[in-house]
Amino acid sequence: MPYSNYEKWKTTPLQEPPFLSIVIPAYNEAERILPTIGAIASHVSDLGFPWEMIIADDGSRDKTVQIVEDLGFANLQVLRAEKNGGKGSAVRRGILAARGQHVLFCDADNSTPIEEVSKFIYQLTQGGQDLAVGSRAAEGAQEENKSLMRRVLSGGLRVLVRYTLNIKVRDTQCGFKMYTAEAARHLHNLQTINGFSFDLEILFLAFRQGYKVAEVPVTWIDAPGSKVNARKEVQRFLRDIWIIRRNAWRGMYNRAPEAAAEAPQLANSPTA
Amino acid sequence: MQVESEAMQNVQVVRLKGRFDAFEVPAFTDWVERHVKPSHAQVVVNLEGVEFIDSSGLAALVKGLKRCREYNGNFVLCYIQQPVLIILELTRLDKAFTFYEDETSALEALSA
Repeated sequence: MPYSNYEKWKTTPLQEPPFLSIVIPAYNEAERILPTIGAIASHVSDLGFPWEMIIADDGSRDKTVQIVEDLGFANLQVLRAEKNGGKGSAVRRGILAARGQHVLFCDADNSTPIEEVSKFIYQLTQGGQDLAVGSRAAEGAQEENKSLMRRVLSGGLRVLVRYTLNIKVRDTQCGFKMYTAEAARHLHNLQTINGFSFDLEILFLAFRQGYKVAEVPVTWIDAPGSKVNARKEVQRFLRDIWIIRRNAWRGMYNRAPEAAAEAPQLANSPTA
Repeated sequence: MQVESEAMQNVQVVRLKGRFDAFEVPAFTDWVERHVKPSHAQVVVNLEGVEFIDSSGLAALVKGLKRCREYNGNFVLCYIQQPVLIILELTRLDKAFTFYEDETSALEALSA
């Protein structure tokens, strides 16, 4: 684990397109973002390929943006947002700004440890998959510190999603997903949901468009300080399932991706 | 996270293993409360088994450092793994702590 790999990554701008872009959506993450950046930078710099990190701010009212910009790292980009538009909007901006052949988005609290990333790269480069989706429900996954309420809610929503949207992965909401660049751009250009359940729409579209999706078991550690309000999010989740079905019936997902990128956003669900 | 400790000479060595985050902080702060006294304020924290530390874990280390200093003691770190070293640097806490490569050199320094 040579420290020099990390030092090179933070000081020397890439001379070639990145193999991997890592997108982290961030809303008021001043406290949690630096340890997550450190853990990711340490691990990924040692994997031996060119990579970039993108912090997609979501209109933070704390010092998240300033803290990250002050690092001044050569391959770390901060995307500012004037307003809080929802996690989905931040992920979308980050993914559409990414230059990598593969794009990972992961949560700012490092709840899925970055050490899991190699399994995802393998699925895309050796396994012929277009998407690799982190799963806390697949065989071999480990969940730590998850409350009983969150377990019950997750279980119920999984069943609902499977039967209403025909999504064939057991965990749609894990904040650790990797795409090929082509799949990432295509799917996020079609995205209309800006809130917490944007993952549902992306997975619905992925299966509908015929992308190959692998469900990858991960270790997941519930991080204190989560900004998810369970009751509100369940309501939004149910509403968004309806919106996705309605969009599909209306043919909204049949547009070319470029046209979809121009389309007005339908559901604005800020996280605040 | 596992917290194991051992008194060696006049120094207490505490060995941590696992992810050092808010869920694990109580175990460490409890150890500090019980073991760091005016007469026992020389502490070596062995971080060989810690690959990730979050802001709560960092705050717990700073509290331990302050408590030892209040008692005119020392609170030093050893066996720091690369991710934790980088996190300490990014948060600028590398300036606050004294690091040693291993337990032996930390013990030698505190016993001198």
